Amino acid sequence: MKRRKSLFMHLSNIRLLAKKFALALLFLSAFVLMLVNKTDTAIIEKTSSVATDALSPMIDILVIPARAVADVYDYLKELKQIHQENQELRQENRKLLQAKDRAQALEIENRILSRLLNYVTPPEAKFITARVIAEEGDAFSHSLIAYTGDAKGVRKGQVVLSNRGVVGRIEQVGKLYSKIILITDINSKIPVMVERTRVRGILTGDNTPTPKMVFIPLEAELTVGDRIVTSGVAGVFPAGLPIGKISSIEKNNVKIKTFTNLERLEYVKIVDYGL
Amino acid sequence: MSDELSENIMTYLQRLLPLLSSLLLLFLSYVPMDFLLFGDIRPAMAIVCVYFWMIHRPDIFNLLSVYFLGLVDDIISNVPFGTNIFTLLVLYLLISNLSRFLSGKPFIITWYGFAIIALVVLFTKWLVLSIYYAQFLPLSIVGFSFMVTAAAYPFISLVLAFVQNNLIADEEL
Repeated sequence: MKRRKSLFMHLSNIRLLAKKFALALLFLSAFVLMLVNKTDTAIIEKTSSVATDALSPMIDILVIPARAVADVYDYLKELKQIHQENQELRQENRKLLQAKDRAQALEIENRILSRLLNYVTPPEAKFITARVIAEEGDAFSHSLIAYTGDAKGVRKGQVVLSNRGVVGRIEQVGKLYSKIILITDINSKIPVMVERTRVRGILTGDNTPTPKMVFIPLEAELTVGDRIVTSGVAGVFPAGLPIGKISSIEKNNVKIKTFTNLERLEYVKIVDYGL
Repeated sequence: MSDELSENIMTYLQRLLPLLSSLLLLFLSYVPMDFLLFGDIRPAMAIVCVYFWMIHRPDIFNLLSVYFLGLVDDIISNVPFGTNIFTLLVLYLLISNLSRFLSGKPFIITWYGFAIIALVVLFTKWLVLSIYYAQFLPLSIVGFSFMVTAAAYPFISLVLAFVQNNLIADEEL
């Protein structure tokens, strides 16, 4: 009886030790994964793309009922505003038609002048519209997963836009799904400039809804409300894409309010500028 | 024979239910929802699920389930690979040592315990990522994320309790 009891205690000690060892091993594996990720090897990226492709359909299935609930909510919320919005849109449409006429005239003028200067026009941008199936936006990361991938010609680094401006860039491409890193994410760094003064800087995300503009010359003249656009430096993003407006200027801290509401994206446009 | 086999399969599926329900809720937490009250800040679903199952059914929600949930979270999320695994393992370690003070207690005590543990875990994640990026991440948003997570716990635990009470058989099974 005593022998059996001691054997049982012995076994439970071994079990406890194995559990502790397993925990230490798993901690170590997590640590190793983070280290490998830090060195930015292609292994993690490739594995992650394949895994995202495998998991994303499961989220995609859940999007349909969630979207239905959201649609009902939006419908009820927007019902009140429709009349007023309609009038505003009519007015805006009139202005846009005038702007269209002006743009057409300028395009013709531009074509003639370009021919005179022997200017080589850049290749026309190609774009893919993709549905957003997952979003993440907490203190630790800001990203999206879109239903489009390698098969549709999506490549890492391509620009992602909404109808209002820059949203982010492609971070990972799977066969059917792609991961997009938003301009508010801590890993996002985009060369930008102030549209009015052409002052350059870098727009860097800090995981808050308002990214900041850094590396601005000391003598730069900035005012709240100035439009920020891409500068085209480094060749990743073409110049002139709208990003947002300066929302606050404090000592060494220029905050930008993005034109796009990054929390409410249903569809995005992935653009290949051939850069 | 076939009865025995189907019974075995059912038992096996029931043992998998905590992990499956956690995965389903985790996927749901990434679905775009425009009608959320707190904008884009969502409850840290994996933390809620691991806490709930480790307090209520540690017999069928083990270390490997925690690791797998962290791995899936890492795949969907854009944080450096391994971060969510690390965070959930810290959570596992904490609950393993504190479960005797929390299991079988009234809901308010469990909730209070969750709030404290979630705060420690989210702070650990913040610290790990701040070291990783060599810059401090905004603590205010972590605080907000914590409040949303703590506030969401009763509602999420209600769903998980439904799974536990109606779909999973007792320990003696």
